[in-house]
Amino acid sequence: MAKQISRRTILKAAAASAVVGAVPIRSWAAESAKIGVILPTSGVFAFPGQQSRKGIEYAALVNKERNGPNMEFIFADTESKPENGRVAAEKLIRQGCTALIGAWDTGATISAAQAVETAKVPLLINIGSAPQITEQGFTQIFRNFASVSSMIASAVTRIHELVTTQKVMPKSAVVLYVNDTFGQSALASLDAIWEKAKVPIKIVDKIGYDVRAKDLSVEVAKAKATGAELVLPITRTNDAIMIVREMVKQKYNPMAIIGPGSPGPYERAFTDALGKFGDDYMICVPWWNPRNPRAKVIAERYEKMEKGNRFELNVGFSFEAVEVMADAVKRAKSNDPAAIHAALKTTNIEDHIMYGGPIRFDEKGQNPNIGVALLQNRDGVPTVVGPQQITMAAPAFPMRPFAGR
Amino acid sequence: MKNLILKDGGIAALVFFVLLALLPAVTGDALISIATLVLMFAVYGIAWNLMMGYVGQLSLGHGLYIGLGAYAVALATGTHGLSPWLGILIGAAISAVVAAVIAFIGFRFSVRGIYFTLLTIACAEMMRISFDNWSYVGGTGGYFLKAAGDTHPLLSLRGDSTFFYFAFLILTAITFLCSAALMKSKFGYFWRAIREDEDAARALGVPTLQLKILAVVISAIMTSIGGSFYALLSGSLFPDTMMGMRFSIEIVIAPIIGGLGTLFGPIVGALFVVPLGEFSNHVAQSTGIYGLNLLIHGALLLVVVCFMPEGLWPAIAKRFGRLRAPAAAKASTPATEGQ
Repeated sequence: MAKQISRRTILKAAAASAVVGAVPIRSWAAESAKIGVILPTSGVFAFPGQQSRKGIEYAALVNKERNGPNMEFIFADTESKPENGRVAAEKLIRQGCTALIGAWDTGATISAAQAVETAKVPLLINIGSAPQITEQGFTQIFRNFASVSSMIASAVTRIHELVTTQKVMPKSAVVLYVNDTFGQSALASLDAIWEKAKVPIKIVDKIGYDVRAKDLSVEVAKAKATGAELVLPITRTNDAIMIVREMVKQKYNPMAIIGPGSPGPYERAFTDALGKFGDDYMICVPWWNPRNPRAKVIAERYEKMEKGNRFELNVGFSFEAVEVMADAVKRAKSNDPAAIHAALKTTNIEDHIMYGGPIRFDEKGQNPNIGVALLQNRDGVPTVVGPQQITMAAPAFPMRPFAGR
Repeated sequence: MKNLILKDGGIAALVFFVLLALLPAVTGDALISIATLVLMFAVYGIAWNLMMGYVGQLSLGHGLYIGLGAYAVALATGTHGLSPWLGILIGAAISAVVAAVIAFIGFRFSVRGIYFTLLTIACAEMMRISFDNWSYVGGTGGYFLKAAGDTHPLLSLRGDSTFFYFAFLILTAITFLCSAALMKSKFGYFWRAIREDEDAARALGVPTLQLKILAVVISAIMTSIGGSFYALLSGSLFPDTMMGMRFSIEIVIAPIIGGLGTLFGPIVGALFVVPLGEFSNHVAQSTGIYGLNLLIHGALLLVVVCFMPEGLWPAIAKRFGRLRAPAAAKASTPATEGQ
């Protein structure tokens, strides 16, 4: 006789299921993937390093809210010293980190790359633009940031697009550049690409200055003397401020100031320091996509949370690095470095917050689809004015003379 | 002789090296990479101490020799495809020549005390600026070593953290032994005589010019070899990082804190300064207060300087009673020399 399924049997089964379900089943997903983060949070690069850390922490919060993979972030400070990149990487690997993010500056990144190469632990570069990073034959690195050469190439395209759509075309340009790793790489790329892109503007002079310069009056006077209608500064934040202050002092009013892919003028430190004189300054940099609704929400929420801070590229690319890592950890279904490395190699993220094509890594570990936006400071806020598909306002060109503001 | 070895920290050094050689076997954590940095700064400290601690010549431009050694090995391997061993030798030879020229110019024309210090700074800065603008070495854009292939570590001198740990351990032991041997030789006595009273030493027939040049050259060679291994460890070279004032000042902290004019002082100093930096860094990371590491680091160094003005090693030596504290080094100054 077949045994009837009674209500009691169902209850017993339900109770048994509940007990079994309550017992935690140990799996990779239950364990946190330890992700090491190498950044210069003290020393000369402290400001961008700290901004990057904020981006990582914010992304970790968002990842948790979205029920992303369990990830624990362990931070290591390089103190802005290149040699500490390797030490930090080794320390984090020995602490059980199965993947790393970092290291903001080229020296520390290459130094860390030596360690990850030996340990076979993947390193996802959030920021770091020297072309050499992906040219040294490292197999464990992935860069979700533009190299200087590709950034400058895109910047030249943006400048070309801008000037050819204006009623008045500038005929000459002068380059002011900081004589450091970034500045030299950027200048070399600009030299190579400017002619090739057939930009109908002649670069009449290139004026370099020391990274520790305390005064740029001579350099600005030289630039003014050339009579160039376009100023192309390759700067960091402080020197960009010094250049504008000198231009105001010396009544030098070119048609436009356009930074071809250098950091600084989109930062709050720049707009706060210069006020109205910081307006109309243009800069070509990788930026978050203002036409992406999710990016807009994320940026606005960050700026509300972090009063006084801007969702700029250091924050944005660090945020995105966490999203790339989360995607890899999720697909790897393992906390094993080799599995995460394999997953990073097959990354293909279509919808992401920074402007550009899908996030993919080529055989050298470079994401070739990083986009570059043309920003212009408007009322103290960097606003996207190019390219056409993400533009939020028409560019103010020529810029207003400083005296009339 | 036994007392002399004890006084100069010979036994302590032997115990120290034996313990360090065993370290990789008993630890699998981040201690290895921190210990590598300790040893690296110990090498620089021992080399610098040879000039300042024993001859009384203050150099704040030793970054120059680190840079020359580093660039020599990087260019030899990266640009010319030579063996790194050859690169190290080339770097040491170039450093020796440069050091001899600087020392000759300085000492031949009686540039003494603080003026000699300024000369070392000026030479290091001149070289840094030259390298900044020299495309052959990468200029300010830097020079980067390719990823190490599958070559045997002893051929490529590139390897994992344990390899570099032993490389620096051997280098520290060699520089320490060289320094100890020099101290016990007649040169060591002459150098100390020069440090105490150069004019009196010269009056007694000590060839002060040659001996001072020799001290600078040996110090430069040691520093250069340390710089070469640093380049192989780091993989990226920038003139500002290698030859800048920051590095030149950083490398003198360990021997000053450890005890000038003592054999073991630079090693004790490095053992204190580097882990202290790591500890303060850890505290700053844990609390999330940026820059706290530098404050803690500075404050603790200040405490040591205030309470142990002769340095850590002499203080330890006094504490354990059996050891006689070494005489503190005295930098000759124009004021004293003029008398």
